[in-house]
Amino acid sequence: MEFKRFLVNKLTLFFALSTLIAVAVSLIGSAFDSQARFGYGVMLKPIEYAALCLLPTFVTWSRRELSPKALLLRKALMLLLLEGVMLFIAFASPDMDTERPEVVLVIAGSVLVVFVLANLFLWLKDAAEAKNLNRDLEKFQKLYEGADGEEAP
Amino acid sequence: MDVRIEQIGKKEEELVLIRCRAVTDEVREIAAFVKSRQGRLSGVADAKQYEIAVSEICYIESVDGKTFLYTGSGVYESAYRIYELEEQLKSKHFLRISKPMLVNLMKIQAIQPAFNGRFTAVLHSGEKVIISRSYVKALKAALKGE
Repeated sequence: MEFKRFLVNKLTLFFALSTLIAVAVSLIGSAFDSQARFGYGVMLKPIEYAALCLLPTFVTWSRRELSPKALLLRKALMLLLLEGVMLFIAFASPDMDTERPEVVLVIAGSVLVVFVLANLFLWLKDAAEAKNLNRDLEKFQKLYEGADGEEAP
Repeated sequence: MDVRIEQIGKKEEELVLIRCRAVTDEVREIAAFVKSRQGRLSGVADAKQYEIAVSEICYIESVDGKTFLYTGSGVYESAYRIYELEEQLKSKHFLRISKPMLVNLMKIQAIQPAFNGRFTAVLHSGEKVIISRSYVKALKAALKGE
């Protein structure tokens, strides 16, 4: 994939992440520290977190097409880096009570669940698309079977 | 080079004759084009030249500036660039599926998902090739005959 196109994809992901992080912080905060009050600076936090979370995704870029196995390995590396980034954010933030192990576990678990669910959703979407492609392929091959050399329309 | 076309009777054998002072790359290119239009391509393997039926080719790949034709039983180097073969073979069910690769749609056994909107084409030869995300739209259109 061209790097420019890759960057455009990452920009789209950045905006999606900013929104999802704002929702996740709101839900986790409401569950563990619902009485907390913040200044206006907190509005920028989801954007900062999204930018930091975007960095690990760059490990999936390759000029050449990666094999499914190589991509799977890079995705696993991306998950590890994402966990690292999220825990770094949690420990660096004075507003997060990281002395409570359950808070750390919930953050790490949330990253894992969101990552797995997002990839599962994409896989299911691709599987449905592959099913349609196979159906069209079968029709195409039946149409031109035994007609090698004949020109397609 | 002058081009003459002569109409012949139905019983006579059709022939493309190139009269040249030297067999240059240009002449080879013209000869290869004529062969490809007839469903054959020239390929080199073990320093020998072979005529390969286009219908036998599973996929074509460009590696480090060289173009290779893959049949179920062998690999042949072609003098053509991948974009030239793409142009010549698009009417023979060949389609670009990634930047360096063309696949023979008639040789695909199944298509499987392969993460990130990409797919894997499993060929009748057992080999697997990646269909890049940016070429999926063209694949869908080709299979629907659009």
